Amino acid sequence: MPSDPSPLGAAGLDRRFEAVVLFTDQAGTPDLVQALQDLLAAEVHVVVITAEPVAAVVDGLSIPPGATSMAFVAGRHGGEIAVVGGRDPQGAPAGADGGAVERLRAAAAATVEELAGQGVRARSSSPSSYERDVVIEVVPPTGPDGVPSADIGELVAYGRATSASVLHGAATRAALAAGIEDPRVWTDDGRVEIATVDERDALRLALSALWRHGVSTSGVLVVADEAGIGPRGCALTTVADTLEATVLCATGHALHTHPGTLPLPGGHAAVLDVLRGQGRHRRERSLPAVAPEPGWGLHLDGVEGERERVDESLVVLADGEVGTSGAPVVADESARPWTIVAGVYELDGPETHLLEGPVPSRIGGRLERAGFRRTLDLHSGTLGEVAPTDEGRITAVRFSSLARPGTVVERIACPSALDPIDPLRPPEGGLLDEGSHGGVAWMRVAASQGGIAAASVAGRDHPGASVYERVTAFAGDALQVPDAPVARALDARETGFDRLLGEHRAEWAQRWLDADIAIEGDERLQAAVRFSLFHLMSSVRDHGEAAVGARGLTGPGYRGHVFWDADTFVLPFLAATHPASARAMLEYRIRRLPVAAANARAMGRRGARFPWESARRGIDVTPTTARDRAGRLVPIRTGQLEDHIVADVAWASSCYEEWTGDDDYRRGDGLRVVVETARYWASRIRTEADGSAHIYGVIGPDEYHEPVDDNTYTNVMARWNLRQAAAAVERLDDPGIPAEERERWLALADALVDGYDSDTGIYEQCARFFSLEPVLIAEVAPRRPIAADYLLGPERVRQAQIIKQPDVLMLHHLVPDEVVRGTLEPNLRYYEPRTAHGSSLSPAVYAALFARARDFDRALDALRIASRIDLDDLTGTTASGLHLATMGGLWQALAMGFAGLRPRAGRLRVDPLLPKAWSALEVRVRFHGSRVCVRRDRTQMTITAQRPVDVVVDDRTYSVDGRGLVFVRRYDTWRLTP
Amino acid sequence: MSTVIAAIDSSLAARPVLAMARTVAPLFGAGIVAVHVVEDPDGPSPAGREHTAQAEADDAGIALRWLRGDAVRELSAAVADDEVVALVIGAHRHAVGGRAGHLPLALASCTDKPVIVVHPTATPPEQLRRVLVAIEGRPGRGKELKRAVELIEATGLEIVVVHVDDEASIPSFSDQVQHETEAYAAEFFGRFLPGLSHARLELRIGDAVEQILTACDETEAELLAVGWPQTEAGGRGRVAHALLDRCTIPVLLVATA
Repeated sequence: MPSDPSPLGAAGLDRRFEAVVLFTDQAGTPDLVQALQDLLAAEVHVVVITAEPVAAVVDGLSIPPGATSMAFVAGRHGGEIAVVGGRDPQGAPAGADGGAVERLRAAAAATVEELAGQGVRARSSSPSSYERDVVIEVVPPTGPDGVPSADIGELVAYGRATSASVLHGAATRAALAAGIEDPRVWTDDGRVEIATVDERDALRLALSALWRHGVSTSGVLVVADEAGIGPRGCALTTVADTLEATVLCATGHALHTHPGTLPLPGGHAAVLDVLRGQGRHRRERSLPAVAPEPGWGLHLDGVEGERERVDESLVVLADGEVGTSGAPVVADESARPWTIVAGVYELDGPETHLLEGPVPSRIGGRLERAGFRRTLDLHSGTLGEVAPTDEGRITAVRFSSLARPGTVVERIACPSALDPIDPLRPPEGGLLDEGSHGGVAWMRVAASQGGIAAASVAGRDHPGASVYERVTAFAGDALQVPDAPVARALDARETGFDRLLGEHRAEWAQRWLDADIAIEGDERLQAAVRFSLFHLMSSVRDHGEAAVGARGLTGPGYRGHVFWDADTFVLPFLAATHPASARAMLEYRIRRLPVAAANARAMGRRGARFPWESARRGIDVTPTTARDRAGRLVPIRTGQLEDHIVADVAWASSCYEEWTGDDDYRRGDGLRVVVETARYWASRIRTEADGSAHIYGVIGPDEYHEPVDDNTYTNVMARWNLRQAAAAVERLDDPGIPAEERERWLALADALVDGYDSDTGIYEQCARFFSLEPVLIAEVAPRRPIAADYLLGPERVRQAQIIKQPDVLMLHHLVPDEVVRGTLEPNLRYYEPRTAHGSSLSPAVYAALFARARDFDRALDALRIASRIDLDDLTGTTASGLHLATMGGLWQALAMGFAGLRPRAGRLRVDPLLPKAWSALEVRVRFHGSRVCVRRDRTQMTITAQRPVDVVVDDRTYSVDGRGLVFVRRYDTWRLTP
Repeated sequence: MSTVIAAIDSSLAARPVLAMARTVAPLFGAGIVAVHVVEDPDGPSPAGREHTAQAEADDAGIALRWLRGDAVRELSAAVADDEVVALVIGAHRHAVGGRAGHLPLALASCTDKPVIVVHPTATPPEQLRRVLVAIEGRPGRGKELKRAVELIEATGLEIVVVHVDDEASIPSFSDQVQHETEAYAAEFFGRFLPGLSHARLELRIGDAVEQILTACDETEAELLAVGWPQTEAGGRGRVAHALLDRCTIPVLLVATA
């Protein structure tokens, strides 16, 4: 076998990369231009960093029609950027802040002045159009007639001044004096350039832009030819960000490079070979590496019978439309592959459950379980598998396209003998019919109404090719012949794997720009948080309506029924990061307002009464009896009595309005929701002879006590609902709502009892709660969290002051303006020791509350439990799907609790808190259409906004935009820095 | 030919033991051999005891084989025969200690083959329909019974699994009971008894012995299968021993060591 002559091959790195960053000053060479153009056509991102005129290099390149590849050219010395095809790389190198031009001018003037002091005349240019560099040129001495001076003194001074060290020293001193913190200074033949950026910044910019397109640094190949390296050697590899990249540097400068840099002998021809090699990888359908950046991945090793189904849940791939389990690509007896489609249910009533659809068939071969590895890249939404089998090593990459929801794409490197006979497999007992059309295999599964259709195109380029590819398109409610998924599958095949991957990764990257939370100082928590955000984002579609069950699209658990989990716990995250999904969730409720109204009428009420559990139609589908874990047959009364969901839906609607400022919604569907829910409460509340108003016979969030009268959470949420409705009607001056009705709402709200004791500052959870047996579960339980009803029995718990999860304290979390100021601490002190945390929703809410109370130790304890509920399968039910509401609660704990973000009346309140264990916390959200980033570290807080928005810090309002605001902590307040 | 051994003595337990042997033998496709061990051939023999064993075997139409020597040693040797697929034996309440089960537990400690223990008052049905498989403490113990469960499933009997949580294994969370139990049960089977179809899970919390006995009644099971760690060191096997003492339906001891 001949040895591979390429440096990549010699280093074992001859693999596919997702982007090439080329340092060269020969970018105009025709063969190089052609090589770069070929890469762009093959969906490889290209960045050129050069000392040549940027515009000229850009003109030589173009983005092929439809390609997802990105290309831009950056100036090596000064941060000039030009984008091929006009696409914004969405970022600019540092050093272009508002004062940069003035500082550069001052530095240039000071340099000229210092040189003048040495008897040398110099002149400076204006800062370049990119505002990041300025050039000072020493003027050769001349006589009055313009002839070069023959004056020995002048010539000596000129010679001294033009020496590199003198020019460099003068310029550096001037730049520092002008306030340029890290000036980049170059000298060259009587010329000195001062810049705020250099090629290292250009490289950082390149990596940052690629990251925003979903390419991690490990997928970047940096190639520097001899000219591109420049006279200072391959300094680019001193950029810490490149440590994960593969760097090839022209031989001759290798000694100046980072130890990880590979030498590239052979000059220009070798560079061309490397670039063409990447084109070859694309033609040969090489698999992309799934190698997440630190903090962005989940690695699962082996297949272990007891754990396998949990692992399959952890790496579920979903795109808002369809969810598929993370079962191994190779068949295994412990695996349970499944597919579910959003909102497609079977049966009706309590038995309603998510319908399982056709599943992409598994590859043959016997899996060697111990060597199996799954890697989920959270940033790009791709799942990689390495599966040793008796037939050899199989590698696979798959994703559920966020750019084309409902489309699952796979590329599998395996022997052709292992190809599945049929690309799709029906779920057990569910097949309606199947067929093929134009090379597309399709299959339908029927529900009592509608069903799921899947269409799959699979195969190899030619017999014996090493790669098997499959694209499967799913569609719900498939009553017709499945033309739509067939067409989508064909279109996806035509588009090709690489382009599908490119658009998918870019979509995910954009989602993360709006939603990431960075926690510096706790890697384990960081990874868990991103894991949660990933599944929250992938479980909810962003068009039409979204029925988000308790497990989202991560599993069939809870039969896909929709609870308050969706409205209260999941929706706030989406309202603050991807409003279109939050809107789709509200649309699910809005379209079921007529059913909710009918439900209210059936109960003798007015308005709309949303069900505790709902599915397709919106009727209540809560089971009425169940066996508990102790074997008891227990009545389930949540469907009848857990009324607070009515206000929870109204709160979710308001939450969306506050984060987005969507005035059309506020005036239209938002008004309907708040009015109809208020009408329900108005008909539900009873007024006694003494004028007090009550809500009798309900179940609050603490489901250990039922039924109860005047549950404080229910009453205060109803009060908030009534007041919100009255305010909305008044604000909009809606003619359809009589003033008397609005006044009645306000009167009822004022009369509703809330159990508040002004002497203690404590709210009584419900009528007669204080007279129950005073048991502190914190003292009697062997551990917490614990299901106290199983530990002590439901009757004992019902008679005691033991609660399942925050109830009164949910008010401090959701509607802090509705409770008396200063009551968080006394209620935390009273209720937390009485809380068993038997609900998986409990720890995250307590984490948020403890954070606001500055009790960071307990906040972090609770936060860590919430973050591990699925990763450590703390409920024993993760195999049926992930606890989406807990994940939403985790976001709330960080964004609302630690970061103190609260939208209120068109402004965003910001009050970030930083426990000692963390060095920084950064939260990204969208507020009123603008991307907002709040970062808090040990010394300061930085707020930036894509477009101007108002933020409130310590009760003062500031307008913030892309330039950002920096605050420093002084005593207990934030001070804006100049 | 496969054989089920029915170990009998001259006590009242002989009759239900033989009845149970007749019930289970068809499930194994086996014939039955009754065995009576005379422990001390030189000692005084209570009048008529051997005669009683013979009479019970004769009544049942089952051949009786006589063995002499230590009961554990002789029966262990008999069970070790490749053709023997199961042992049915009485609970053998100890005359001094008062607790039943010393002999069957000793035998179950020497073999991996099914040992079915029959209470003296038991009235085994002519045909088994339902078996209760008991798992206490950590749910992971279920997998220890996997082999026995597969054996039972192969016979076509209805299987009900009862898992009894103790304080240490009470779940941390229970969100919505109407879904939680269902999800837990599905995962329980998927995790600990994969491949088992048509089984039902009964969940209990509390004292394992009491809960299992109650479950026997409530499910109307005709056979109880319970794990036996083949030792009582360190308090292990307490539940199995107590069940032999109190359970009035036959108990299948499953070696879990």
